[in-house]
This record gives sequence, C-alpha cells and structure tokens, in this order.
Amino acid sequence: MSKSMKLAGLKSVENAHDESVWAATWVPGTTTRPSLLLTGSLDETVKLWSPDELDLVRTNTGHCLGVVSVAAHPSGVIAASASLDSLVRVFDVDTNATIATLEAPPSEVWQMQFDPKGTTLAVAGGGSASIKLWDTATWRLVATLSIPRPEGPKPSDKSSSKKFVLSVAWSPDGRRLACGSMDGTISVFDVARAKFLHHLEGHHMPVRSLVFSPEPDSRRLYSASDDGHVHIYDAEGKALIGAMSGHASWVLSVDVSPDGEALATGSSDKTVRLWDFKMRAAIQTMSNHTDQVWAVAFRRDGGGRLASVSDDKSISLYHCS
Amino acid sequence: MACVYIPVQNSEEEVRVALDQLPRDASDILDILKAEQAPLDLWLIIAREYFKQGKIEQFRQILEEGSSPEIDEYYADVRYERIAILNALGAYYSYLGKIETKQREKEEHFILATQYYNKASRIDMHEPSTWVGKGQLLLAKGEVEQAFAAFKIVLEGDRDNVPALLGQACVEFNRGRYSDSLELYKRALQVYPDCPGAVRLGIGLCRYRLGQLEKARLAFQRVLQLDPENVEALVALAIMDLQANEAHGIQKGMDKMRRAFEIYPYCAMALNYLANHFFFTGQHFLVEQLTETALAVTNHGPTKSHSYYNLARSYHSKGDYEKAGYYYMQSIKEINKPHEFVFPYYGLGQVKLKSGDFRSALSNFEKVLEVYPDNCETMKALGHIFVQLGQIEKALEFMRKATKIDPRDAQAFVDLGELLISSDSGAALDALKTARSLMEKGGQAVPVEVLNNIGVLHFEREEFELALESFNKALGDGIWVTLTGNKPKSYVIEASASILDYKDMQLFHRFEEDGYSVELPWNKVTVVFNLARLHEQLHNTGTANLLYRLILFKYPDYIDAYLRLAAIAKARNNLQLSIELVNEALKVNDKCPNALSMLGELELKNDDWVKAKETFRSASDATDGKDSYAILSLGNWNYFAAIRNEKRNPKLEATHLEKAKELYTRVLVQHTANLYAANGAGVVLAEKGHFDVSKDIFTQVQEAASGSVFVQMPDVWINLAHVFFAQGNFALAVKMYQNCLRKFYYNTDSQILLYLARTHYEAEQWQECKKTLLRAIHLAPSNYTLRFDAGVAMQKFSTSTLQKEKRTADEVRSTVAELENAVRIFSQLSAASNLHLHGFDEKKINTHVEYCKHLLEAAKVHREAAEREEQQNRQKQEAARQLALAEEARRKAEEQRKHLLEKRKQEDELKRLQQAEEHFKRVQEQWKSSNPASKRRDRSEIDDEEGGHSEKRRRKGGKRRKKDKNKSRYERDDEGAEMVDDREELEDEDANMNYRESADQMNDQDDENGEKAQDLLAAAGLEDSDVEDEGAAPSSAGGRRRRAWSESDDDEPAQRGTESSPVRENSAELQDSDGEIREDNSKLNGGAALDDDED
Repeated sequence: MSKSMKLAGLKSVENAHDESVWAATWVPGTTTRPSLLLTGSLDETVKLWSPDELDLVRTNTGHCLGVVSVAAHPSGVIAASASLDSLVRVFDVDTNATIATLEAPPSEVWQMQFDPKGTTLAVAGGGSASIKLWDTATWRLVATLSIPRPEGPKPSDKSSSKKFVLSVAWSPDGRRLACGSMDGTISVFDVARAKFLHHLEGHHMPVRSLVFSPEPDSRRLYSASDDGHVHIYDAEGKALIGAMSGHASWVLSVDVSPDGEALATGSSDKTVRLWDFKMRAAIQTMSNHTDQVWAVAFRRDGGGRLASVSDDKSISLYHCS
Repeated sequence: MACVYIPVQNSEEEVRVALDQLPRDASDILDILKAEQAPLDLWLIIAREYFKQGKIEQFRQILEEGSSPEIDEYYADVRYERIAILNALGAYYSYLGKIETKQREKEEHFILATQYYNKASRIDMHEPSTWVGKGQLLLAKGEVEQAFAAFKIVLEGDRDNVPALLGQACVEFNRGRYSDSLELYKRALQVYPDCPGAVRLGIGLCRYRLGQLEKARLAFQRVLQLDPENVEALVALAIMDLQANEAHGIQKGMDKMRRAFEIYPYCAMALNYLANHFFFTGQHFLVEQLTETALAVTNHGPTKSHSYYNLARSYHSKGDYEKAGYYYMQSIKEINKPHEFVFPYYGLGQVKLKSGDFRSALSNFEKVLEVYPDNCETMKALGHIFVQLGQIEKALEFMRKATKIDPRDAQAFVDLGELLISSDSGAALDALKTARSLMEKGGQAVPVEVLNNIGVLHFEREEFELALESFNKALGDGIWVTLTGNKPKSYVIEASASILDYKDMQLFHRFEEDGYSVELPWNKVTVVFNLARLHEQLHNTGTANLLYRLILFKYPDYIDAYLRLAAIAKARNNLQLSIELVNEALKVNDKCPNALSMLGELELKNDDWVKAKETFRSASDATDGKDSYAILSLGNWNYFAAIRNEKRNPKLEATHLEKAKELYTRVLVQHTANLYAANGAGVVLAEKGHFDVSKDIFTQVQEAASGSVFVQMPDVWINLAHVFFAQGNFALAVKMYQNCLRKFYYNTDSQILLYLARTHYEAEQWQECKKTLLRAIHLAPSNYTLRFDAGVAMQKFSTSTLQKEKRTADEVRSTVAELENAVRIFSQLSAASNLHLHGFDEKKINTHVEYCKHLLEAAKVHREAAEREEQQNRQKQEAARQLALAEEARRKAEEQRKHLLEKRKQEDELKRLQQAEEHFKRVQEQWKSSNPASKRRDRSEIDDEEGGHSEKRRRKGGKRRKKDKNKSRYERDDEGAEMVDDREELEDEDANMNYRESADQMNDQDDENGEKAQDLLAAAGLEDSDVEDEGAAPSSAGGRRRRAWSESDDDEPAQRGTESSPVRENSAELQDSDGEIREDNSKLNGGAALDDDED
C-alpha cells in the first residue's frame, strides 16, 4: 500500500462567526495575493480568511437569512454566496463590490459551483428540481437542466419535493454535471447538449454533497448522504462501485484531495473523517468540532490544507501530508 | 506326612491313618473309629482334616456320628472332647448361617448352631470355648450386645482367652469403638503372636477407621504376608490404593481388587468396587453383572445400597432415567439416614431435575446439602432448581455461596453470571470475566457461550472495543475473519458495495473457489450474529451486511438475519427493499411475530394504515396475544388514529384513545417494567390533561431508559418536553428538546427543532424562534411548512416590535428588514404554490403576502416617524447644545463684564451698573422664553399624535366585530388602524392555524379559546380560508402541520422498531445460549457428581 495521507490539526478559530457556519470553500490565489478561505454562516455574513493564520480578511454583509453556500471562480477574482432567501450575490473578492445579484424564482438556491473553465455558474435549484446555469460574462440565466419528472397521472406534491435538488458538481472536464436530491437520487447531465443522461441509484435519503474525482479517474463521483454512507459511482457507467460506512449520522459534506488519493467528509456526528478508498475505510477521524460539520474543503493550489466548518461556529484548519 | 494312629482295641497295635489319604467315604473311617472305640479327640482330628480338605459332607458325618446319643452314653465321662465336637458343629452351622443369603435357611442354620452350643453347655456350662462359640453365633446373628455378654463371661474367667479377645474386639468394632477394639486385637496378638492373619486384619481395619492409614496399610500387608490369599486384606489394600486417587494407585488398587475377585468372587465389597471401576471405564455391561452378583451375595444394607447406587449410576449415564431413578430409590431404601450414604440422593436429585420434577429434586439436593453443607455442585444444582421455580433471589444466594466456597470453580461463576444477566449486568459481567480468567489460567478453553455473553454485556454497556474483542475470541479463526479483517479481498469490497443485493451469494462461492472453507459451525451462528449487530452499532454497515449474508448463506432459515438486513435497509430509508427482506423472513415462518411487527411498521411508514393494523393484529394473534410488542404496536396504532384525523371527531378520538390505553395497560399488566407501554400510557394520560401524572411517568421512564445501549427512548424526552410546554414551563421545555436533539439525533431532527421554535414562539422569543426555524429549513430544505412558519415568526416579531410603546429607529428598521424577508418568503411560497411544490393554499399565502406588504408600508411610515423623531431628538439635542453654549457665553460675558467693570472703574456709578444689569436680565429672559416654548410645542404635537393613534385603535378595535364581515380589511382607508386591526386578526389566525392543533394534542387547550378564536376569525372575514383549513383540504397549512405532528409521532413506532427489535433479538439470542449452557451444565454436574463418588 502506498503511504496514506494523514491529517494534523493546525489551527482552530472559535466563534469565527456569531452563528453556525454552514459553508466553506477555498478562493484560488491571484498574482497579488495567496488563496483565501471563504465561509458563510447563519449569522448572514460571508467572511474571508488568510490561508495559514486564519486571520479575518474581511466580513461581507448584505445577505438576509442564513448563508447556505459559497463558491469561488477558478480565477480567484470573483466569488458567489447564496442565502436561505434564495438570492445569489456575486462579488469581487478583493473589493467586495457586488457584480451581480441572481435569482430565478420560485427556485431556491442551495449548492453552487463554477465550472472548471469559469464560464458558467451552476446552482442547485431546490424545489424547481433543476440546475440553473448562469453565464459568468453576462450573468444571464442560460439554461435550466431539469430532472425529468416521474411519469404519472399528475405530479403530486410528494414526488416533487423528493426531487428537491440540494447539491451540484461539475466533472473535471466540464462536460458533465451531477446533482443530488432529497430522495437520494443523483442525476447526471450532459452539459453541452443540456440533456439529462441518467440517475445514479443507491441512496434513499438526501444527498447533500457531491464531488467528482480529479483526472485520471474523472468518471468517479463521490456522494455524501443522510444515510451515513459515502457512495462511489461510475458516473458514466451508471454503476455503484463502492460504499463506505462509519459515520454515526448524516454525511453533510465530501471533498476529494487534489491528487485524488483521499476523501474527506464532514458529518452530523461532529467528526471529520479521512478515507482511503482502496481500503474502503476511514483511516482517520478528527473530533475537534463539538457540533455538526457542515463543510470540508481541500485547498487546490498546493500547501496541503483541509478546512472544516461547523455548527459550533468554529473553523478548523488541518495540514495533510 | 502327617498321620494319626488309631489304637487297636486289646492289642498294642495301631492303625495308621495318613491324613492326606483319608478315604473318600467317611463311613470306612467311622467304622474303624467305632470298632476300635477310638478316643474322641481322634474323631475330631479326622473330622477337621476332612474340613480342611473341603470335604464338608464327611466332616459333618463324622462329627454328627461323634455327637450321637450312643457316643454320649459310651464316652459319658469324656466331657471335653464331647464339648469340642459339639462346639465344632455349632461353629460350622454358625458359619453356614452367616454365609447363607436366604433368610429361612439362614435361620435354620442358626437354630441348629444354637442347639449344638446349648448341648455343649449342658455338659459343662463353664466351658469357655462354648461361650466363645455362642458369642460368635450371636455376632453372626447381629446380636452384638448379647455377644458382648458371652465374651465377657469367658474373659472374666481368663483374661487371655484369645478367641474371646478376638470376639470382643469384633463386638467393639461393630459398636464403632475402634480404639477399644484395637486394644483387644493387640492383646490377642501379644498373648498369641502366631495367631492367624485375621487378627491383624482386625487391627488394620481399626487403624483404618481411626484414620491411621499408614499403620493400617502395614497391618493389611502383614496379613497378606501370612496369607497371600486373604481376600479382605486384598480388598482393604485395594480400597486404600484407590483412595489415593492417583493414576498409579488406582492401577495398583484395581490389580488387587481383581486378584481378590479371582480368589473369592463373592465378596460384595470387591464386586462393588470393581463395578465402580468399570463404570468409569464405561463398561456398563460389566457394571450390571458385578452389581447384580454383589446384590445376590450380601444382605449388608450399606453394601447393598452401594450396589444399587452403582446400578443406578450406570443407567443414569446411559440416559435411562426411569431405571436410574428406580435404583437410586432402592439405594436410598437401604440406608437409614442420608449421613450414611448420601450419593444416591444426589443422583436421584439429578434424575428428578432431568424429568422436571423440581420439587422432589429440591428435597433430594437439600438432603445432600445437610450432609455436605459446603458442596458447591449441590449448591449449583439448587441454584438451577430455584431458577426453574422462578425464585431468582434464592437461586442467586446459592450461586453466590458456591462461588464463595470455591472461588476457583469457573463453572459456578459462569452459572452465577448467567443468572445475573437479567438483573444486574455489571455483576454478571464480573462473574463471567472471573470464570473466563479461571478457565484461561487453568489452560481450559473458554466456552463460546461464555465469551459471547461477555461480549453482549460489554456491548450493552457501550464498551464496544471490549465487546468486539470478546466476540472475536469466541469466534476464533474462520471465514468471518476474511470478511471483517483489514485486508479484504477485492471481491469482498465489490460485494460490500452491493449492499442492496442481499441475495447475492456469489461472494461466498468465490471464496469456495479460492479454496477458503466457508463454514459456520452451529454454535457460532449466534456469535456471528452478535458481531454483526456490533458492527451495525459501530456504523460498519457494510461488514454487518456481509456477516448477515454469511449467516443466511449457511442457514437460510435464520429469520433474525433477514430482519436485521431489513432494519439496515429501513434505516437507510429503502422501504421497498426492507419490505422485501421482511417478506423473505415471513417465507420462512409466516407467523413470526417479529417479522410481522416490522412489516406493520413499514406499512405504517408507507402510510398504509389499514394494512398496518391488520399486520399488527396477526402479529398479536400469532403469539396468542402474549407478545407485548405486537400489542404495543396496536396501542400505538390506535393512538395515532386518534390524533391523526384532520377532522377531529371527538367520539372517534375518545374511542381510539380508550382502546390505546387499554392495550398499553394490558402490556403493563403482563410486564410491569415495560418502558414503552408506560410511555404510551403517559401519552394517553397527557392527552386527557393529567399532566402531573404523565410527567411522573415520563420522568420514571426516562430514568429507567438510561444506561443500556439497547434502550434508546428519545420519545420520552420529547413527551416530557411537551408536558413542560403544555404547563407553560417554556425554559424547561426548551432545555429538554435541546438535550433530546443532541443526545439522540446529532442535532439533525427538524421536527424537534420545530417543537423548539414553537416553544420560543409561545415564550415570545422571536429571534430564537426565527433562528431555530432557519436551522430547521437548513436541515429539511424541502419542508415548506418551515418556511411558512419562519415567515409567520418574522411577521409576529415585526408586529410585536411595532406594538411596543417605546422603540428605537434601529428596532423599527430591523422590523422593516424582517418584514421584507417575510414578504419575500411568502411571495416565494406563493409563486411555488403555482407549481404544486407544496401543499399550501395559494389564497392563504397571498393573504399573508398582502398583509405583510401592508404591514411593511405601515412600518415604513413608522420608520419615517421614528426617523423623524430621531431627527427631532437630534434637533433637540442640538438646541440643548446651543443652550449650553449660550449659557457658557453668558457666563463668559458676565465674567468679561465683571472684568470690564473692574477694569473700567471700581467706583463707577451704581446706577449705570444697575442699568446694565437690567439690560442683561432682559436679554436673559428673552432667551428663556424663546427656547422652552418651542420645546413644549413639539411635545404636544407628539402627544396629540399618539393620543389620536391610541384612541383610534381603541375605537376601531371595538368596532371591528360589528363591521361588515364581507368587507375586505384592506379596503379601509385609515392605514394606522388597519395595521393594528389586522395585526390582531392575524395573531388570532396564527394561533389558530399553526399552534392550536399542536398545542391541542398535548393539552386539549380550552375549547372555548379555540372557539373564540374561530368566532373572531369568522368575524374578521377569514371564514373562507378557515373553512378550508378545518375542512377537507389536507393541503392547508394547518393540515400540514398536523400531519407533521402525527408524522413525528409516527416515528415512535419506527424508533421502537429499529431500536427495540435488536434488543428482542439479542435477548432471545442470549436466552438461547443460556439454554445451551444450562444443558451443558447439567451434563457437567452429572460428571462432577460422579467424581464425588470416589470419596
């Protein structure tokens, strides 16, 4: 077995926000500054933190109700944050100038992700059972990728709320989009043709987080579900190729290490776990949080960092080697 | 060669008779003796010679002839020889009588013997040898005291009469006075050092009885030196060898015993011991033969008892309990007191235990305990009997005593531990661990059952690592190691991925192809099952899944494995798969109550009420109504039926509640400690408003439910919180909800968050309420009810802020922001309702949207007012600042003036000064009058405004009820009043829509209130929406809410399902394994008891 990854706690910021921290992502570095950690909270603010010291760089206000997701453009220049009131705010990372405010009523907003090239922002559209695609040049809604409704006499309220879309993930080549729903199904779309391809089945509880593996295993999709499991799918071949159990409660967030060798998950059971998928088992469990861990994020541009945020209002930073 | 010479009458000649050549026919000799009138001592010598040669008939013939009347007459004055002949005959018949086993013949012999001795006495009543003979006859007849008297007579005449000494020694031995007996034997030996070995035999026996074993052994060995064929000495030595209880000794002992048997095959004692030996070597045929011979040759009670005992044991070990019981009884009949020979009581006790006759088993074992008060085996047996009789306390007492007496008896600790499992798991674990370490120290393999039970106990105490260790130890090596190990085969990984395909047994076939042996011994199935349960608990679902599948691969009828797989599927919300699995279980046994109960729950979860009820019924029927779980499920069903109906039908509700109560009570009667039934009863009581009682019940259940990982009862926490809420104790309710959320749900349950929000709402903690709802939305994004509620909370917050007498502009500003949020939320809901995304009534949401918009506009006015006020305040502050500045200026001016005055002229004219002062005063007054005046005006303006406002409010409020019902509220022109009006209406509405039903469920809130609220609503023109609300539209907010409530209660059986079914299964498993162990025990006890016999 090759040497496996290991996590070491670097720093924790208690009371990083006034309320639960619900979202986190790394903003890539630019020529003028290193990458930053971007977090969003129930306290209606979005904060930027320096990558190693976790010093507060700036606090963005302007959202009403809790901030449920944040996303960073691959260039590191712009970022987006979304709140429970279904508004997406796109802003300049360095100046905090508002670039656009997006909404597509009556669609809610959950997770968001910029495509790898940075031309499109994909937004999980909640009860609209669709992914909304926004052009990052014009900030116009360019496409709605809808999950086909199950055939039936009439769409009952039951089935539609089941297809509520929570999570979204781009494949590394930008050709595929996957989204996870409340009922546990994962839908895969062909972006270029704006076409639904197929469902990935296996979960029967909400899928709150999805991530594709980097090249060369970019067909692989990892999913985190309330059923306490992480599934490994072949997103093209439509097959469930692995399941990993160990969390005692919902798995809220999953991220894959930049080299594709390890997975990190955050769970309602208050732990952050590091997984080796050759072993299909957790190889490390971090228990420094005292409440649900809503997000985990590997820093992409080197440095070997993993960040986690939690309902306990804190942010933790780990070194991974 | 020895010979006698018979003198020929009237001559010097003699007839020489070679003693080893005596004629076969005694008559030849007799003729010579008679013809030659030989002296009587010759007769005696010849007779004795015949006897020695075993020619008993000839011996008797000569002596009888020698004691005939003619002889008496002829030898009338030869007294001593005549007496000797008679005594010899007496002794002969005594001996015959002694060895005769048939009672009648025996007595006949004794009578003859008595007659001869009496005849001898008539010749000379002082002859000692006659007395000695008589004494021996009496001894043979068992008349010990009379024998004593006879020997005494002899010894009084001659202290050193050896036969009398020996006789008396025998008497003393029989009386149990071994040291007296020993003294007499010794004297006999001193007097007559060359006496036969039998004397030394007596010494040996006395010393043996006195516990001087080495000396006894020497005595017996001496006997054998003198007489190598002395059976008694051989037997005695053999017994001593056997008792040494070591392999070598036993071998030697058995050799001697065998020799004794070869010399004399009718020694009962030797026969018994041989039988005993062959019992242990398992040659039951020999045992029976030997024992039967022994029984035929002896009348000695204790020996017979021993023989019967051997026979009984033989049958016992062959499993013929009926015959064994019969012979144990025979054995017992031969003894007077248990103290003489207690083993048959033990055996009989065991046989009775086996046949289920606990009472007589009990009395037999108690007899054993009388004799051996510290006998562990007996105590253990008694312990088991008391368990069977249901007297657990007594059973425990015996088991504890057994372990105390022999702290190294591992089996006793095992028994004790198993007894304690149900009552005190901690003590049980200690006992079993002690047993385990005893066995390990003794190099004994620890039984699988013991390790399994230790594992389960650790499991129950949440010591999962230790549990895992114990289960793994119990299982040892096997295919399961490959399934659970760290380095799984690639196809194991593949198989664990297909968790959904429980039927896939390919994995195991591949194992077999790869040369693994896929075996699962029957006694390890339970352990594998428990190990799987443990992995489930540790969230290693994949591993658990594989283990269950392994069980099903080898034992396709193992229902519990199906049910656990179903439970795993259910926990992952895969209801369809779960139902499939339960149906597999039902294929094995369509009356399995556990499977039926689970099916019922799944149907309930699928909202299939009618089916669920039927299934629960059949579960209950399958167990003749004895299965608490099925009854509980029915009780729950009735409870949900009572509260789920949107159209609350009081009659139906009461019926269902009553039925639920009856069912819970039925369970409680059968099992007073059933927590779930108690919880159910508490709920029903709370429904009826008996909060204090229900609170007590819930508190007790909560206490009882803590401490075992198998009992997880979040419901009781929620119920307690509900009671606190209903009683208005919001702070405690909040705490209880929060604790429950944290302790049982990792803070993930949005339903409890909803309860929490509602409590905050009632406690008027609007911000907490809102935050709680936002958290709930974050957890359950597709639950639009939560959004609606959040909107209502924000609306309520705004109105309450606006209602405040004093409020800052900031407060009002945040109110406006909050209202904007509310409008946004309601608008979104309204838009979404077009798409049928949720079940709200569009009209109703629009009402809220409109209302909030109006409120918002009003709030904006308020904000402006507040901002104006703020501005005015700022102006006021500015004015005050200016005043202060003026004051300062005045002071400075004065000072300046003074300075000036001083400077100009100190003796200036008073008049000028006065003038100047007057002027200044005027200026001063002018200042004063201008500023306060403007202030006053301001204030009155505000007063006016407020007064008018409140007046209007009162007025409108009063009017409202009289107003035209159909007139839309928003048509009114007076904005301020409208706002206030609407606020009140909506408050009522809120209370009605969102919280009344829910509160009702717990506390049957005054109907009056509800009705009043309804009237108000009717009056306020919200009739329409309300009708829908209360009516058939299940999609109304209230309906949703109520559904939400009943859904949450639905969780109750679901919880019970997942949590309690493993408990049941586990306990069942434990019981099974107990059973196994108990059987083993009785077997072991049997063995142990038999070991005892060697004593």
